[in-house]
Amino acid sequence: MNFKKQLKEGLLTQNPVLVQLLGMCSTMAITTTIFNGLGMGVSVLIILTCSNVVISLLRKIIPDQIRIAAYVVVIAGFVTMVDLLLQAFLPDIAESLGVFIPLIVVNCIILARAESFASKNKVLPAALDGICQGIGYTLVLLVMSAIREFLGSGSLAGQQIFPSEYGVMMLTLPVGGFLTLGCLIALMQWARDKAEKKEGK
Amino acid sequence: MSKRETAAAKEVQRQKLELDPKYIIKLTGTLLGISAVVALLLGVVNQVTAPIIEEMQAEKTAAAMSQVLEAEEYLPLETEAEGVTALYEARTGGEPAGYVVEVSGSGYGGAIQMVVGVDLSGTVTGVSVTDHGETSNVGTKVVESEAVLGQFVGMSLADGEITVNSGTNRFDGVSGATVSSRGVVSGVNTALAAVAGLAE
Repeated sequence: MNFKKQLKEGLLTQNPVLVQLLGMCSTMAITTTIFNGLGMGVSVLIILTCSNVVISLLRKIIPDQIRIAAYVVVIAGFVTMVDLLLQAFLPDIAESLGVFIPLIVVNCIILARAESFASKNKVLPAALDGICQGIGYTLVLLVMSAIREFLGSGSLAGQQIFPSEYGVMMLTLPVGGFLTLGCLIALMQWARDKAEKKEGK
Repeated sequence: MSKRETAAAKEVQRQKLELDPKYIIKLTGTLLGISAVVALLLGVVNQVTAPIIEEMQAEKTAAAMSQVLEAEEYLPLETEAEGVTALYEARTGGEPAGYVVEVSGSGYGGAIQMVVGVDLSGTVTGVSVTDHGETSNVGTKVVESEAVLGQFVGMSLADGEITVNSGTNRFDGVSGATVSSRGVVSGVNTALAAVAGLAE
């Protein structure tokens, strides 16, 4: 296990959104502006890293039968803390992300990483896994929200580039989320296929 | 022993272990311990953030109230009108200057929370939306636009209930955002009715 390999997995080969297809709900719902995408991505990154570390520390204490319950308690604790801290210190982000912050509890990325990685590895690799998967998630959110914000409402990171009247309103609606995500996943599959063929030769 | 028998024996052993009171207590204890630590930490975070969040919300409401109707102080009044969350009498120099009504109208994405300023003659002095879940770039053209909400200023129930795009007391809705337009209009109507109810 080394950092480079984990980073490559998080960003490309095991990207949580585009390859593992985890956390679709939040990906679709909040990627209407770059500001939202970044806020959500960073929140998930922090929660994922914290919960990975704690679960890795507790991996020998938690009996197998109750592991899921224990993970959910730990994750819910971190999510609530982040939610309260955001509301207190970054109210703008808290307001625009609304219910999706509390919903990180049920974001499968976090539970999946706890179950498949943190519970089987030492603290350092678990923390790195949280960071790398978090970066992978954030990047996808940023790309998606950039596409949807630019084409949908004619702005990038709040800067109006062309009048919003000419934007494709559909893209800011849930429909646009599905379309953008579908295209990105297809692109990812194509790139992975190509890379595999290259390796095969 | 055949393979199947070994597996069966293992299964019996596992079940015995699961029924062992010591094991059950260990399970319960571990989960209880984890929950207790998490609860403690949450308590600490809540202690720190609760006053800040409360203060911020109070500030936000106060800012919205002074935006719709300038006054020195706002005294809460009792009200039973439907759809009204709170009703304040605005006073300046001890003299009543009008009323501020917190109402919620139903929009496209849930309730639209807003404050409506009404002067003593029952005329709207200002409308401000404090919380909403409207679609960005559609419903927000109504609830976040001062020009659209500004139409309400000067309207009253004297000309009948305010209606969207029709009638004598007409509010020009935003095309494509009819539900949001109706939501704010119903909120203002409720507020005006609540104030009218006070006078009776």
